[in-house]
Amino acid sequence: MALGDKAAFTALYSATSAKLFGVSLRVLNNRAEAEEVLQEVYIKIWHSAARYQVNGLSPMSWLITIARNQSIDRLRKRRARHDGLDEAAELPDARPGPEALAMAGSDRARIVACMAKLEADRADAVRRAYVEGETYAELADRYSVPLNTIRTWLRRSLIKLKECLST
Amino acid sequence: MTDGLTPDEEDSVLAAEYALGLLTQAEADAFEQRLAVDPGFRAQYARWTTHFTALMENVAPVAPPARVLTAIKAQLWPTPERSLWSRIGILPALAGAALAAVVVLGLLNLDRFTAGPVVPEYTAAIAAEDQSLIVMASFDVETGALLLERTTGAVAADRSQELWLIVPDAAAPISLGLLSEEDVTTIVPPEDLAGVIAGATLAISDEPPGGSPTGAPTTVLAVGAVRDA
Repeated sequence: MALGDKAAFTALYSATSAKLFGVSLRVLNNRAEAEEVLQEVYIKIWHSAARYQVNGLSPMSWLITIARNQSIDRLRKRRARHDGLDEAAELPDARPGPEALAMAGSDRARIVACMAKLEADRADAVRRAYVEGETYAELADRYSVPLNTIRTWLRRSLIKLKECLST
Repeated sequence: MTDGLTPDEEDSVLAAEYALGLLTQAEADAFEQRLAVDPGFRAQYARWTTHFTALMENVAPVAPPARVLTAIKAQLWPTPERSLWSRIGILPALAGAALAAVVVLGLLNLDRFTAGPVVPEYTAAIAAEDQSLIVMASFDVETGALLLERTTGAVAADRSQELWLIVPDAAAPISLGLLSEEDVTTIVPPEDLAGVIAGATLAISDEPPGGSPTGAPTTVLAVGAVRDA
């Protein structure tokens, strides 16, 4: 994937921008911010294309990761400004849909099937960390437990996930 | 960490926590240093990251507005100033098409334009010589919005239509972004262009998906002069 030239980059944008815009919208729930972040994402992609070869991710995973990370950064900055007003807290589709659970056999949906085997609030915590960018402190607050407790819960859940994912 | 995890499990969990963004800045810095020197560690991180991206699988794609690509291109590849006259290939075609468009304009009924701003101050009928493509445009100076409605013709399969502003005496045609495949597109040009839209010419070119690969119109399909409403 040589991105040294404009045509290839523009073709990449054409093929992937709708998915990445969807990801930004999902995280930020705000169209104007998602548009700004999308611009930042593709600037990043252009500048870090040379590093892509060494990180072992598939192209789409790499792109989605950049979009997710950039969106989470923006979301956390927004949260820091609003200090307590968590606009993204109650998004309706925070749980996997039934079609996702039905895909249990497929390689790519293994995480969803494995998360379904965790207790509901543990799976929810993992999902909130990934999709909403919630920190340990915020998760501790949400579940009304001490920080150390939520860390232990989550780390044990990640071990379970790892075991499930490698079977 | 005293969670009763083996060192291997510790490493795996750390990689997952990093991928989830749960580490403190200090922990993340230390992790990144290890990542730089430890290929096994990198592989673990890559596996977790790949798994987590599957959580975005059900996220529906949403086409971003054309202005995002325009902004990206402008930031990555600012176009150098070039004389319009150096684009010998385009000008004769534009001049000829513009002449034909002027004739066509007189016959077009602007009442067919159904979705304009309340008080459009400038309008243009961007038309192909053979009228196979007609896009009505109206520009509202107050909101700075350019509303375009394709009343005849469509975007060809696997192609895109890009809108250009051609300002007399100025440099190269300026891209205003891609037209939607839907009939109606709204474009908000940069503020510094708003002042020169009146008296300029709008053109639509046929491009590959994503817009012109060269930063200049590839094949001009239609032109229209902007005039007072």
